[in-house]
Amino acid sequence: MPVSASSRSVRRHARPLPAILPIGLLLVAGALLAVHGFASARNIANLGLQASILLMLSMPMTLIIMSEGLDLSAGAVLSLCSVVMAEVLASGHGLAGALAASIAVGLCFGLGNGALVSLLALPPFVVTLGTLGIAEGASLVLTEGNAVSGLGTDIACLYALDFAGVPFPVLVALATWLFTYLLLHYTRFGTYVFAIGGNRDALVLAGAPAWAYHIAIYAFGGLVSGVAALLLTGRMNAAHPTVAIGMEFDAIAAVVLGGTSFERGDGRLLGTVLGVATITVLRNALDLLGVESSLQVVSIGALILLVIVIDSLRRTRRAQAA
Amino acid sequence: MSRDESGPPATPGPLLALRNVSKTFPGVRALDDVSLELYAGEVHMLLGENGAGKSSLIKVLYGAYRADAGTILYEGDPVEIARPADARRLGIAVIFQEFSLVPFLDLAQNIFLGREPRRPLTRLIDHARMHREARAVLDSLGLDYDTRALPVQLGVAQQQMVEIAKALSQRARILVMDEPTAALSERETAALFAVIRQLRASGVAIAYISHRLHEVLELGDRVTVLRDGRRVATLPAGEATPDQLIAMVVGRAVGAIYKRRHFGTPGKVALEVQGLTTATGVRGVDLVVREGEIVGLSGLVGAGRTEVARAVFGADPVVAGEIRIFGTIAEGGPERIAARGVALIPENRKLEGLALKRSVQDNLLVASLWKLFPRGWYRAVAANRHARSLIDRLRVTPPAPRRLARVLSGGNQQKVVIGKWLAAGCRLFLFDEPTRGIDIGAKSEIFALIEELVERGAAVLLISSELAEIVHVCDRAYVMRAGTIGGELARAQLSEESILRLAMHEG
Amino acid sequence: MIPGSNAPEATSRLPAHWRHRLAGDHAALALRAVLIALIGLALALSSDAFLSTANVLNVLRQASLIFLLAAGLTLVILCGGFDLSVAANLTLSACLAAGVIKAGFSPWLGVVTALACSTAAGALNGLAVTLLRLPPFLATYAMLWILQGLAFHYMGGQEIFGFPPAFRALGTGFLLGVPVPVYLMAAVLVAATIFMRSTNLGQEIYAVGANPEAARLSGIPVRRRQMLVYMLSGLMSGIAAVVFLARVNAADAGMGEPLLLPVIAAVLIGGTSLFGGVGSVLGTVLGSIILALVINGMNLLDIRAQWQPLVVGVVLLAAVMVDLVGRGRRERIG
Repeated sequence: MPVSASSRSVRRHARPLPAILPIGLLLVAGALLAVHGFASARNIANLGLQASILLMLSMPMTLIIMSEGLDLSAGAVLSLCSVVMAEVLASGHGLAGALAASIAVGLCFGLGNGALVSLLALPPFVVTLGTLGIAEGASLVLTEGNAVSGLGTDIACLYALDFAGVPFPVLVALATWLFTYLLLHYTRFGTYVFAIGGNRDALVLAGAPAWAYHIAIYAFGGLVSGVAALLLTGRMNAAHPTVAIGMEFDAIAAVVLGGTSFERGDGRLLGTVLGVATITVLRNALDLLGVESSLQVVSIGALILLVIVIDSLRRTRRAQAA
Repeated sequence: MSRDESGPPATPGPLLALRNVSKTFPGVRALDDVSLELYAGEVHMLLGENGAGKSSLIKVLYGAYRADAGTILYEGDPVEIARPADARRLGIAVIFQEFSLVPFLDLAQNIFLGREPRRPLTRLIDHARMHREARAVLDSLGLDYDTRALPVQLGVAQQQMVEIAKALSQRARILVMDEPTAALSERETAALFAVIRQLRASGVAIAYISHRLHEVLELGDRVTVLRDGRRVATLPAGEATPDQLIAMVVGRAVGAIYKRRHFGTPGKVALEVQGLTTATGVRGVDLVVREGEIVGLSGLVGAGRTEVARAVFGADPVVAGEIRIFGTIAEGGPERIAARGVALIPENRKLEGLALKRSVQDNLLVASLWKLFPRGWYRAVAANRHARSLIDRLRVTPPAPRRLARVLSGGNQQKVVIGKWLAAGCRLFLFDEPTRGIDIGAKSEIFALIEELVERGAAVLLISSELAEIVHVCDRAYVMRAGTIGGELARAQLSEESILRLAMHEG
Repeated sequence: MIPGSNAPEATSRLPAHWRHRLAGDHAALALRAVLIALIGLALALSSDAFLSTANVLNVLRQASLIFLLAAGLTLVILCGGFDLSVAANLTLSACLAAGVIKAGFSPWLGVVTALACSTAAGALNGLAVTLLRLPPFLATYAMLWILQGLAFHYMGGQEIFGFPPAFRALGTGFLLGVPVPVYLMAAVLVAATIFMRSTNLGQEIYAVGANPEAARLSGIPVRRRQMLVYMLSGLMSGIAAVVFLARVNAADAGMGEPLLLPVIAAVLIGGTSLFGGVGSVLGTVLGSIILALVINGMNLLDIRAQWQPLVVGVVLLAAVMVDLVGRGRRERIG
């Protein structure tokens, strides 16, 4: 057997950091210096709470976008899960039953999205726009457009718990991150997420049921929405039919800011976490400065544009250097 | 011609046998009653021109196509290979020409895709073991790539070697290789051959597709020649001579399909390329095409022929060098180049040449809209008239301008691609594999068309992998090798041997 | 010239030609017309109010608003792109126009403002797709939120209402007993159909949508055509904004949003393929009427407004399936 030492051996070299890291650090530094009250202990605890639901939604969104997909229904499904959870609680059932109902609803939507995208090869953004409408409509019909309250104290108490100084919502969000990380890097499912986005045919040729894994990606999104409803409902001790609609924008923005590409299955889970942190800091600082939510959206849009332009400039420079 | 008189090298019965397999597509009989036996411990070479049925045969073997007729026997028992998973279960591994690597999984993950080793209790992937085993497979090929590297960091040849490692790691009993050396250097080829010999010794059955005769003779135990979807012959490699094999591959040589009626005297220079270098792998190419001549551009697949044509057409950026079209420097994208009377008939007509979901008429007129209707008003009646006259001239069948391009046969689709440039009144034509995958009748019609073009004073650059086409149709030819021009052959020097010699740099 | 080739097919030419046309576009359009008739019949049987002249005109007026947005989206989709920002673009344009008119300027300046704003937003979409090479749904999704955010900021939670009668006539007026927006719908239909069928630009847009790479290699300036359709889509949002503003006589930052799903559904039900290159503006008119009938029917049958997003969502998914049936199964190995 000829074991020749090939001259063009290939070493793994570190991949460049996503552009979001320096931008996020600049943003934090700016907020610390210029925004009164940003560094207060209360505000920092608040940041953690604000980030927790977004972090949860962003984790499956990263996998979905890696698979060349998109989930525009995430916010509406989260709202619906919250409504269902609140209705079950208000009818006097326990927390466990409410959580199970919420997860079941989330899974149904996730499986539906996944089936339409995977089996029928329909474009994800249109499919999830349709399910957005269905979830929003279902929330409105269930609540007649009103908030659901009178849930008792169970869920509010759970939300207020803390473990060694770490608030319950932050703990749940961190657990979701850890879980997604394990899923992505230590299971076949995670490996196949890369493959579905990068080269689906390769996965099929390898004999794996790519269609089933493709559905599972969206189902995971539904599952996480079902759990995240716990935080959303607990925060207000009530549910509102449209409160989380629009949150999918922040989640998609966090994923895109984090450097996950819409093609080729290049995923950056840590990048998404940085994206979540950046968006949370940005929104929080703008809140403290008295900038209304609508302009915050515009500034997030501008930030995305900035990162995309920087990334594409760096890519061209690297291509020229090579 | 011998027909399977040669006995198997060893063992009682074949490991895998195809019996009378046929597969038909609209307009093309891809496989016609093909039988093939693969024995354990043999390297079985498959030889044939493009479109002879080799790739269809592979697709039947790994379950991407389902044969219309015929049976597949595994160790003598009939089996069904309906999808890739079935093939995998039977121990069939295929190394493709197109890469099946996932860009953002590391090499170990790619090698074990679909077979990731998992820890017994947690069912989590055992990365340590996966990297260890991947390392062993890469070492056996003499490759010292880091198993944590990503395919995007690899060159084409390196990716090809990883593909081979991926197939080896499956411990397959039947290994199918589709031109595995097309992108490899000599040293890499030597390493691969050593591995193949070792696998043969350990009892693996290997089906090996190649265009390179010396590989066939050097490596093969038996050779099967395919032509037009049929098996021409199976014979022991030791008994075959190159001339005999070439004769079987080419069959009715293009000379029989098509003969140039007349060679004219070339006119003014239509295309002059100097020092052309591109990011796609062309390095310092010089060539000239004059009006009234057909100039061949030959060479092995991957030698940079398509890339030259695309750069001339403005489809890929030029890094260095100069392109002059009818005497003036060419700049800009395809819309600027096409406006100067240049036509590109691309290699992949379904992806790059046609809008399959539009009608024949729409496709025929798409490049000449502003010539036919200079004020921008598209008139359906006039458009239909133009389309019909083109259809008549090209003899597109069926002569239905509103038929979708998708439903035409390959030959008629190619006529439509050519037709769109006839309507635009082009004078310099870049043909990239114009006869790939089309039947013989349509081939000769297309050559008649090309000759008619040059007789009317057009200049033609003809890229073809079929050597006989270059020999019989061209006034002269350039032969490319690894991104450069390996040599130029005048009419009198043109022969399949002389082209091959330049293309492979032998002798 | 290759001689003698047009002998045998002369007789079979005409029937083959007609058979194909019947099996293609015309049959599809006829199917949609029948669907409209069936929904109409069902509504007429279940509600006495449906067949009143006032209600039929009302349906057409509703359809015209959907159509004005959907026509622009149709062009973008035919060219192989997508525009999720049409409704948000309408909102911002209408709000700005309302502000201009309310500030005492001529209503015509308001109209010009709306058209300029919406076309500029369309141009930005086009630049994001052609220069930054972003996937169209991502670029226009971000634009949706930016336009929506700007509209919220501009309105500050307020409503602007009460416009001069001359301006309102654009939305509420009648000419010979037919609402003005219906004339507008007809005019846009004719103009867009002529543009797509009878100009070189229209043919090139179809070609780009059907196969952008083949179009590029046929010498079509692909990016300029993409730019054009995004700008036209923006312009149509502006026209729709003027009509909407004139009709409801009030602007607020949430006015456009409920239109997004019905508009997409109208395009898809009209038979335009999400994958580009196949479809027509004529189909979109029929799709718009179907959506208007569905919405009108829900009102007549006293279905609560809360059901509307759900129903429209279901209709949208149904519409995507229609597209699926039209294009056949996507080829995938295994």
